[in-house]
Amino acid sequence: MSFDADVIIVGGGLAGLSTAITANREGLSTIVLERGEYSGSKNVSGGRMYTHALLQLFPDALERAPLERPVTKETYEVFCDEGKKITFSFEHKTKNSYTILRAKFDQWLAKEAENEGVLISYSTLVTNARREKDYIVVETNRGELKAPLIVDAGGVTSPVSRFLGIKKLEPKTLMLGVKEILDVKPNLPEDEGEARTIMGLIGNLKGGGFVYTNKDTLSVGVTIKVESLYNSNLPSHEIVERFREALGIEGNILEYSAHLIPYYGYDKLSNLYDRNLIVVGDAAGFLINDGFNIRGMDLAIGSGIVAGKALKKIKEMNDYSKTDIYYEMLKESFVLRDLKTALRSFKVLNEEEIFTKYPKILCNTLSKLFTVTSDGKERPINVLITESKNENVNTTKMLSDIMRLFI
Amino acid sequence: MTVNLLKRLGLNKYNVDKNSHIQVNTDICLTCKDKPCTKVCPAGTYEPSPDGRIIVHYERCLECGAALVACPYGAIKFTFPEGGISYKYG
Ligand SMILES: Cc1cc2nc3c(=O)[nH]c(=O)nc-3n(C[C@H](O)[C@H](O)[C@H](O)COP(=O)(O)OP(=O)(O)OC[C@H]3O[C@@H](n4cnc5c(N)ncnc54)[C@H](O)[C@@H]3O)c2cc1C
Ligand code: SF4
Repeated sequence: MSFDADVIIVGGGLAGLSTAITANREGLSTIVLERGEYSGSKNVSGGRMYTHALLQLFPDALERAPLERPVTKETYEVFCDEGKKITFSFEHKTKNSYTILRAKFDQWLAKEAENEGVLISYSTLVTNARREKDYIVVETNRGELKAPLIVDAGGVTSPVSRFLGIKKLEPKTLMLGVKEILDVKPNLPEDEGEARTIMGLIGNLKGGGFVYTNKDTLSVGVTIKVESLYNSNLPSHEIVERFREALGIEGNILEYSAHLIPYYGYDKLSNLYDRNLIVVGDAAGFLINDGFNIRGMDLAIGSGIVAGKALKKIKEMNDYSKTDIYYEMLKESFVLRDLKTALRSFKVLNEEEIFTKYPKILCNTLSKLFTVTSDGKERPINVLITESKNENVNTTKMLSDIMRLFI
Repeated sequence: MTVNLLKRLGLNKYNVDKNSHIQVNTDICLTCKDKPCTKVCPAGTYEPSPDGRIIVHYERCLECGAALVACPYGAIKFTFPEGGISYKYG
């Protein structure tokens, strides 16, 4: 049987390109199929990347990659009714994470891959996939291709896994991200940047928002659980607009984009591999949202690097059913380790009260603590208990939920 | 600074396919009261029509993928378009 390549990778985003670069360096012939006219043309991210995985791929990436700004200031804001707001800010002059713009970044990564010998076929839409005896055929708008190893790097909608019937998408495991880019130049020195995480400005919807500073622009967006949109009073195409207006951000809009975000959690991950198939990045559900960070990009690159190395081992064994090797290697990597660690906080974020009631209780409690009247002062814990009762919330459960976010 | 949805969508580069990549079984929509697809789609692709069915503006689609799960009754059939959107900035 002759094949089109050792490995066909569906999706030329961060996960697919990282798999391709690694597999190619390991000596495998590799084809990437990308439906966009260039890598990055259909990719959406809030845009804050933790760079550790990228540095594994390119140790000199901080000098060469098109990064926007290092995040040197973290701001966490919880808005409540009646103009109350809790703010927490932390400054650190590190280069641990950078803001990026995917249309630029993914294009750069694709060029790097091509320079190293990876073949990328753009404007190539995979429309179906079927399993033959010991290989997989992918159907595209340009014809069929077959290989003994296929990588599903098609992002959150997991095209190959869906076409093969081993994955079904459910609203409860998905969030929707909606984002604008504004032509607002941050008032910061060039080597500084800010990441704002914002809760409480999108009504009763389960989710939050962000504002990231790029070199000359701002990325402003929201991430919301799909299920909570069903009964929303606000259609999702108005949410970012309201959010931006509530923050008082003014500027010309340069771009409006949206994308689903996987929201599975470590214990609900499935379809990571199958016979002749390896799944990476968002297609595998590799996303961490622990209330402080949203991380998918470093996990996409990290899982791609592991996949590339695993593909080499599988080829050497000449047994293309042995894709569980990838899973064994993933368990040793930061990808599954960090997802496992984040599980507790991930579960807390599934609790309705986190978005609706807790911010109000905390704001009202702090408001009373900082207000002095002639009625005399109450002990903070008593204020908290009263405010929890007003919202029908058990104080002990609330405190334990908040603790679970941290420990 | 309110910016109309169509104006926001018009900022993106589109290569609209000749045939719609979205099919809706609008007979099912007749019995659907809350029309959740109209709330979920960030591009306003699904618009309720006075006869109780749904009008699909497939040329607005941002390809976020939400259409794959937006309809609880399985009335939407969504495939990605061949052309579709290209983002320039972010
Ligand atoms: C609003 C928003 C904010 C986010 N914020 C952050 C953040 O700040 N930090 C962070 O780390 N992560 C963030 N994420 C998550 C992050 O963007 C993803 O985890 C990451 O993009 C996953 O990369 P990927 O390569 O797996 O998938 P993608 O980037 O989605 O790439 C998949 C590729 O496959 C292609 N493709 C899909 N289907 C087909 C097909 N049938 N045929 C051919 N090609 C196909 C697509 O065109 C695309 O290029 C955010 C996501 C969103 C939506
Ligand atoms: S949710 Fe489904 S059934 Fe209801 S209006 Fe929309 S497409 Fe029709």
